[in-house]
Formats: sequence, structure tokens, C-alpha cells
Amino acid sequence: MTSSGHQPHAPAAPVAGGPILEARDVHRTYRLGRVEVPVLKGASIAVHPGEWVSILGSSGSGKSTLLHILGGLDRADRGHVAFRGEEIVGYSPRRLDRYRNDHVGFVFQFYHLLPELTVLENAMLPATVGVGMIEWSRRRHEVRERARALLDRLGLSHRFRHRPAELSGGERQRVAIARALMRNPEVLLADEPTGNLDARSGESLLEVIAEQHRAGLAVVMVTHDQWVAARADRTVHLADGRVA
Amino acid sequence: MGVYVSLLVRRYLTTRIIPLIAVGAVALCVALVTVVVSVMSGFLENLRNSGRTLMGDVVVSYPVQGIPWYEDLIADIERLPGAEAATPLVDTYGLVRMPYPDGGNKDVVTAQVWAIEPDSFARVTEFDRTIWWKPADAAQALAMAPDDPRRTLTGKEYGNAKAMRDADTGAPGALLGMHVSVVNQRQRDGSYRPRVDRWWMPSHEVTVTLVPISEKGQVSQSNSRVFKVVNEVMSGVFQVDRNRIFIPLKDGQELLRLDEAPVVDTDAEPDAQGNLPVIGTSPARATQVLVRAKPGVTPRELRDQVTEAYAAFWGRKAADRSVRVRPPAPDYVTVQTWEERLRDIIAPVERERQMMRILFSLTYLVCAGLILAIFWSIVSEKTRDVGILRAVGAGRLGVLRIFLAYGLVIGAVGSLAGAGLGWLIIRNINDIHMALGEDAPAWSWIAAYLLAALAGTMALRALVASRVLATLLHSVAALVLAGIGTGLYLHQGFLMWDPAVYYFATIPSQMDWTNAVVTCIGATVFSVLGAAVPAARAADIDPVRALRYE
Ligand SMILES: Nc1ncnc2c1ncn2[C@@H]1O[C@H](COP(=O)(O)OP(=O)(O)OP(=O)(O)O)[C@@H](O)[C@H]1O
Ligand SMILES: [Mg+2]
Repeated sequence: MTSSGHQPHAPAAPVAGGPILEARDVHRTYRLGRVEVPVLKGASIAVHPGEWVSILGSSGSGKSTLLHILGGLDRADRGHVAFRGEEIVGYSPRRLDRYRNDHVGFVFQFYHLLPELTVLENAMLPATVGVGMIEWSRRRHEVRERARALLDRLGLSHRFRHRPAELSGGERQRVAIARALMRNPEVLLADEPTGNLDARSGESLLEVIAEQHRAGLAVVMVTHDQWVAARADRTVHLADGRVA
Repeated sequence: MGVYVSLLVRRYLTTRIIPLIAVGAVALCVALVTVVVSVMSGFLENLRNSGRTLMGDVVVSYPVQGIPWYEDLIADIERLPGAEAATPLVDTYGLVRMPYPDGGNKDVVTAQVWAIEPDSFARVTEFDRTIWWKPADAAQALAMAPDDPRRTLTGKEYGNAKAMRDADTGAPGALLGMHVSVVNQRQRDGSYRPRVDRWWMPSHEVTVTLVPISEKGQVSQSNSRVFKVVNEVMSGVFQVDRNRIFIPLKDGQELLRLDEAPVVDTDAEPDAQGNLPVIGTSPARATQVLVRAKPGVTPRELRDQVTEAYAAFWGRKAADRSVRVRPPAPDYVTVQTWEERLRDIIAPVERERQMMRILFSLTYLVCAGLILAIFWSIVSEKTRDVGILRAVGAGRLGVLRIFLAYGLVIGAVGSLAGAGLGWLIIRNINDIHMALGEDAPAWSWIAAYLLAALAGTMALRALVASRVLATLLHSVAALVLAGIGTGLYLHQGFLMWDPAVYYFATIPSQMDWTNAVVTCIGATVFSVLGAAVPAARAADIDPVRALRYE
């Protein structure tokens, strides 16, 4: 795998054998008007490089919230979140944006593709973020080629010019995976990626993820399906705001 | 700045209808302002140009009595550093007996009579350019309609006009404003034809009657003289073309008794024939002296020079004991630039244009409000997209930029389209106006009714198929088309631009580019401002919430 080679000033000091992504004692409380809803109450999880972890839990237990916090999309009220041993809680908004762009890839239950863009453009999207026009004119070819190759591998070679609305659920989710992999992240954060798919599409999607995992990608996958969770190296349970 | 910004702006623009509506609305606003202000600017410009066309840069005037020794004054003025040329003029009102209709009972009209010296007058004003019946050269003839009388002229009329004399008979010649004669009919291309060929004015005579006014301010015996109509003039200023006729200076002076005359001693005893003894001569007079400035000299500078020159001229004449008839004292003589003379007309127009500009700045607010409303709904609809963009690493600033750039593009594209539309309208404004002035052709309202019937049928079909929106839209279309048809059917030619009100025979059709550019920039800026509020809202969207938004 080609290294993405970003983060010039981040002291790339992965603790040998340490987790690539770790949450320790994370708290998160939502406020609904005057009612406080504590969702995470000291959740901890450690993901090692190349490891596939499944998070199981009942609906409303805070699985998505934990995943968002791990991916730098949401902020913990309290606790530590570290990527390669470096605390991301203190990151500036800009650095956090870069972190999401460089190091993690999100996949959601409802695909979340941009309806106005074609399949190819959706897949390329993360590579167009934070890239100026001049750099783009130099790199567009390479980026396009990479998106094509990814979509090819996911069996979407005949769909480049289509809009998401013209694809099946399984196909859309694969586009989402291509998008998540576009920047060559270290961790894939998948929130019930098969939740909206029939058994066969779900199975083939899991196979796609498994293939990436075999190639060295760390995966954190939220699900409430035991059989899906069983594909992982390790399964953790989230209940009562804590990981068991 | 991320490439995704331009990618998304492009896609949002090309895959949706709402932005096109916004572009259209901005374009209409800009076109409206451009057309209105251009017409008003053109109008002012015409007024300005007409000033010079008609009266040169500076006018010295002493009405009714006139200025004696005006030749000396003109010689003085022409020695001024700022003066190019000067010309004497006698202006008054008089009666003109027209050659038509047949029979003894001819039309008599009142007219402003300018008695001029054609050579010097043409040096000060653009008189020569306003003479209408000139033979056309080959290039001009190409542009003329086949039946334009100017194609067959020999140049005789033009020669007579410049001499103000009929070369064949030696009779004094008069030039009539193009609209003085009711026979002349303006064509769509701006040329003129006599309604009846026989009444083409340059083959007829008019009788001009002027009323001299004595030094005591009393009206004395009127004088009449027959003039050959040698040509007609078309200044473009309707009031002038409608009312003014030109006759030779000498004839005007004679008819008004402003010519050189012997002065008699009224206290002496009359001689055997009853004549009083002559004790001198009273010089000829001119009621105005028109002066043209040298290139680069402003009318105001020239006016100041002329004012001084007049004072010196008066002082010299007053000090000269041999001069019996003194020119009027400087206090009684007005020296004005053409702008000052036309101020009564120009000032209100200038104020009106200013007001239009202010009123139409409201269109900017309309642009801003429109874009704001449209973008607000777009942002609401795109909340989830914002979450997705944030999830792949886009920052708040990037999201903000997307919608700002979106507004910028809509404003810029709308402005350019609007300026283009305005330009097209202005270029063809006189044709459009003429078309409005004619009854709508039968095919237009028949077509509108047919389309209305078609839309009605579609509405019925949609009703049968119980499709609500289609029924509604087709019914509305049917009603609107029927309304348009009825409007066209009832439309009586109506000309908004009445030359009698707006001074000029045609609507100014010059694009005011400065104003267009300012308007475009304004509309674009305000479009971006309108987009700013929803864009800021989009930037503030919490990505987690946005992604839960289904
Ligand atoms: N923005 C928010 N404001 C208020 N409450 C929220 C917000 N986001 C999440 N919650 C609440 O937090 C709790 C956890 O939500 P979360 O989506 O993390 O659960 P989940 O385990 O992913 O559930 P599911 O399996 O249904 O997706 C829920 O009770 C939810 O209502
Ligand atoms: Mg969830």
C-alpha cells in the first residue's frame, strides 16, 4: 500500500505494538432542551493496526456516537481519544478536518452519497478536499485513476457516470466504501454498513471489507447483528454507556 | 480552497432548476436598471448635444430691442482666446402661412422665427448637419429606403439652404423645422416623406408675418414677406423641429425694423415734403450673439471671457461721443452657457435620473432577498450533504465557500445575462416601441387563443386523469394565454414616448456602459451578500446532526 504521506508536522511516533486508535474513559452527554441524556459514560476502546473490531449494542446505546468521536466528527465531553498515541481531542478544527480526511474513512448505514455527483466524483470527493486548483491540475489524473481502480475492484467499472439514485443499495454502499478508501486511511469506521442491505448484498459487502482488512486496514464496525459482528477479529459490547 | 467547492457549485448549478430561476431574476433586475438608466442618460446626453447643435456654447442676449453695433461686438468676441466663431441672430415669434391646403383658406401657424446669417451660423452651431434635404452619397443611399426622396436630390436644395436664397429667382429662402409642416410623415427608419408628394415643402412658398415692437414696448404695424422654402431642418429636438423656422438675418431685421435706419430729429420742423431732418443713422441690431468655444475651452470659461468682452465693448461705445445709439448696459444683457439656458429642462431630468438610480438600488435588495430565500431553502435541503462533506474532511470554511461561490456565480451570470438583455433591448428600443405603437397583428392574438385552447384541453385531460398539479398548471396557463390573447386583441397602438413630451423624436438607444458595469457589480455583490446568511447557516451545521438527518 502506498503511504499517503501526510501530516508533515505530526510526530509520527506510533508506540510499537500500541493501538492505532484509542478511546479512554470517553463521556458524551446530549442535551435535549433541559433534559440531559448521558450517552457515553466512560467508554473505552483500543483498536490495533490491522485489527477488525465489531461494536455490538442495542439501539440507542451510543454506538454511532462512539464511532463519530473516534472519527473526529463529534467531540467527547470528557476523556481521551488518541490516534497513533497522539491526542486528537485538543486538535484545532482545521487539524480535525485534516485528520478525518487523511486517516479515517467513514461508511454509513444510509450510504450518504452526494446525489448531484456521479459515482466517480463521489468516490474522488475526499481527494478534492483541501486541494488547491494548481495542485489539482497536476494530480487530477492520478486521483481519477485511483478512484477508477478502486471502483473497478469493487465491481463498479460500468457505473462511473451514473448518479447514486440509479444504483442498488449494495452498489451505493460500495461506492461509499470506495470513497472511504480514497485517501488510503489507516482506519475504516463503518456504522452498520450492511444494515440497509439484503443478505446477499450484505455478505458481498462484508467480503469487500474483509479483503481490505486482509490488506492491512484497521476496521471498526458498528452492528447489532451477531453474525455480522462475528466476521471481526474481536467483538465488544456497548451497554449503559460503557464498553464491556 | 478545495477543488470540491468548484465541483459542487458546478453540479448544483447544472442539475437544479431553482438556481436558474435565481439567475433569471437577477438578469431581469439588471436589465431593467440598465435600460431605464441608459435611456435617461441618453436623454441627458441628447439634451447636452442639442445645446451645442442649436446654439453653440455661449449666448449673449438682449431680447426684443436687440444689441446695436453687434458686428463690432462679434469682432471683439472673435478675438477672444477662447472663441472659435460668433454669429448674430434675431429671434422672435411670428405667423407662418403655409402653402396648404388648396384654395384660399391656408393654414397659418405660429412659429419661433430665427433670422440668421447662414455662413457664420453654421460655424457656431451644427446647422449644416441639421439640413435634411441633401443629396445622398453612394454609401448613405445604400442605407436608405428605395422611396426615400433624398436618393434623387440634385443638390440644388442643399445649395439653396446654405445660401438661404433660391438660386433661380433670387427670392429669399426659409428653412422650416421638419415638423412645422403637417405634411411630413416620419417613417420607421427615421426618414421623412411628404404624405402627398405634391406638398413636398421645398417646392413651395410660405408667408412670414412678424410684429415689430417699438422702443416704448408697443406693437406696431406688422410686416409680411414671402419666402421660398429652400429646405427643412431636423435637429432631433422635437420642440425645435416643431416650432422653428429660419429666415435670412437681413429679412428678419427688416420685418422687425431692427435694420439700419436713419435717425430723424423729431423736434425740428418738417420740410416741404413733411419729412423730418435726418441727423444720423441707427445701426442694425441683433437680439442674440451665439458663440462657439475653441476645442478644449469649456463653455464656462468662454462665458466669462465673453462677459468681460461685452463690458469692454459697452464701455468703449459709451465713452465714444460720436456714438448716438448706445448698446444696453452689461447689467441688462444676459451672457449664458447653453447649459444655463437649458437649465430648466436639464435640471429636472438630472434629478430624475438620480432618483431612478436610488429607486433602482432597491433592485439590489430584491436580488439579495431573492438569493437569500432561494439559498435558505437550498441549504435546508442540503443539510445532509453538508454532513457528508464534513465527514470526508471538508471544513466549515469550505462549506461557507461553496454557498458563497454559488451566490457569486448566480449573481455574475445573472448580471451578464441581464446586461446583455438590456443591451439588446436598448439597441432595438425604437423598433420595439414602434411595434408597441401599432395594433397587434391578427396572428398574434389568434395564436394566443389557440395556445389557450390547447392548454385548456390539457387541463381537462389532466383533470380526467386526476393529476392535481398538472390540472392546476394547465388551467393557469390557459387563463394567462387567454388573457394575453385578449390583451393583444384589444391592444390599440400606444406610443409611450411622445416626442412632444420628451423633446426628441426617437428614444435614446445608447447603452450607458458605466452604469451597466456598476449595476452588474452591485447585483453580484448583493447576490453574494444574500447568499452569505444561508451559507453561514450551512457552515454552522453540526455534522453529526446533519448525518442523522434523514
Ligand atoms: N444530537 C443529539 N441530540 C440529542 N440526543 C442525541 C443526539 N444524537 C444522539 N442522541 C441520542 O443519543 C443516544 C445514542 O445515539 P446513537 O445514535 O449513538 O445510538 P446507536 O447505538 O447508534 O443507535 P442505533 O443502533 O439505533 O443507531 C440516542 O438515545 C439518541 O437519541
Ligand atoms: Mg447508530
